[in-house]
Amino acid sequence: MGLPVNGALDQYSARAANILVANHENAPLVEALAFDIAFVPSVDILIAATGARMTLTVAGAERPMWEPVPVAAGQEVRLSDMTGGMRTYVAVHGGFDVPELLGSCAPDSVIEFGQQFADGAAIPLNASTRAPVNPYFGMSLFNFDVAVPYFGDTAVIDVTDGPDIAEFAGTADRLFRAPYVVSTRSNQIGLRLTGDLPERATEGEMISRGVPVGAVEVPPGDELLVLHRGRGVTAGYPVLAVVTSTSLDTLGQARPETAVTFRHVSLEHASRDARAWRERLDQLRDRVATVFSCLGVEPCSAHAPTGRGTA
Amino acid sequence: MTVRIRIQETGESAIRVSGASGDREIDWRVVHKIARAVTTPGIDGVHSAIPTYESVLIEFDAERTSLAAVHAIVQAVAGELDPDEPLTHAPREFVVPVLYGGEHGPDLPDVARLTGWSEEAVIAAHLAPTYVIRCLGAPGGSPMLDGPELPVPVPRLTSPRTHVPQGVVSLAGRQATITPAAAPGGWSLIGRTPFTMIDLSSEPLVPYAPGDSLRFQRIDAERFHELEGQRLRATEAAL
Repeated sequence: MGLPVNGALDQYSARAANILVANHENAPLVEALAFDIAFVPSVDILIAATGARMTLTVAGAERPMWEPVPVAAGQEVRLSDMTGGMRTYVAVHGGFDVPELLGSCAPDSVIEFGQQFADGAAIPLNASTRAPVNPYFGMSLFNFDVAVPYFGDTAVIDVTDGPDIAEFAGTADRLFRAPYVVSTRSNQIGLRLTGDLPERATEGEMISRGVPVGAVEVPPGDELLVLHRGRGVTAGYPVLAVVTSTSLDTLGQARPETAVTFRHVSLEHASRDARAWRERLDQLRDRVATVFSCLGVEPCSAHAPTGRGTA
Repeated sequence: MTVRIRIQETGESAIRVSGASGDREIDWRVVHKIARAVTTPGIDGVHSAIPTYESVLIEFDAERTSLAAVHAIVQAVAGELDPDEPLTHAPREFVVPVLYGGEHGPDLPDVARLTGWSEEAVIAAHLAPTYVIRCLGAPGGSPMLDGPELPVPVPRLTSPRTHVPQGVVSLAGRQATITPAAAPGGWSLIGRTPFTMIDLSSEPLVPYAPGDSLRFQRIDAERFHELEGQRLRATEAAL
């Protein structure tokens, strides 16, 4: 198709948010990028906020992130003061009714698809399902004890060797010597980092090839480029290294000025981490299903997007 | 005839499979056929394949399948395909009008200087071939072509542009393309088509596919304005 899969840059947080409200883990959700957001539902809803650390309040009372939180119609939900990370996700039980392209609602800035919400925007919900609203004001109904990732001023990012590492003969190791710093020119297409750059040993024009999400490249200029989910699917630069799928979540939360240390791992190590990531989400889904069935909350299996990523 | 391929690991969730026959046409057909076969519904865990000129990047969920399993699938698929069978049995033809040079093709003078040719000679070389669409690339499903016959490959810009508008006709290395969507870019811009290539209300979003053929047709500024915004469509088949 010539288009990237796209979707949430921190897949673990986005999927956990959906799982916590008994949605399909790929259901559309809202991503708050660096700024505060507030909204008021017109019906009773169950929400979960995950990702970058923020203060979550419902009608002025503080509520936990990474847990399902009931909200009554008319109560204001506010997420403010992001203190670690870049992207906070908000899922609503039942999901949002939003336009999809090729089975995904994920924004794509290149083909100009997707929704960005401005002040005063209304987002339609799917057919409302009964939300469990806690009759005891101020008490949390749930405690799922989700494994919450750390987002801070430093990040350790695992990479495996890229298919074109030989093109950087003798300088590939520079990637691991000292931390790189995330530049403000980073976005959902790729992160740009400053530091001691490996150098291409070969010259000449490469033919365009498919590039994976996580590809580490050294394009012309003075920055390292790490491609993320919004990347163009083809490029003509050699791939020095590939960020592991679990470390891509961490990179998706790396703000400008974050000091990134790259760490070399084996493919076996990277595959093991990917399976452990899946097990954590599967176990969370099982715990949520057990608790919700006791409470009489219906899981939302109706909306299961076919292919691509999450909002 | 056995199909020769080379498989390279590309992280724990992808492999790059390259044709290794020594023949560009065969390699191109082979990687596109592998792409089709592995994205056929029913192959668990593989979620996309990006075939280009001589390689295909196959992406999968490392949590659901393994590198070894995907290797085995690719070997099995490669063992069964016919590398000589055409990729498309009924290729369509697309004719793309282009206004060359000036503000729409700011790099045409540089390409001329690089080749030692006149701008007119570069344009003539670009107009000459009937191109085969080799693959769909970035941004937005660009039709990737083999470049025109120039004496030297066209280097990528040392400082890529942060914004290249949609419809731009460009060259890099031994490749040529048209960009359906605005994006940053490091290719040399030699002209622009007034046509719109991408349609978000249709599926697929672009009207052409790998294996179709494409020709460029020179137009002037007046014709450019008349055609601006029209959709690119395949030429009606001759009856």
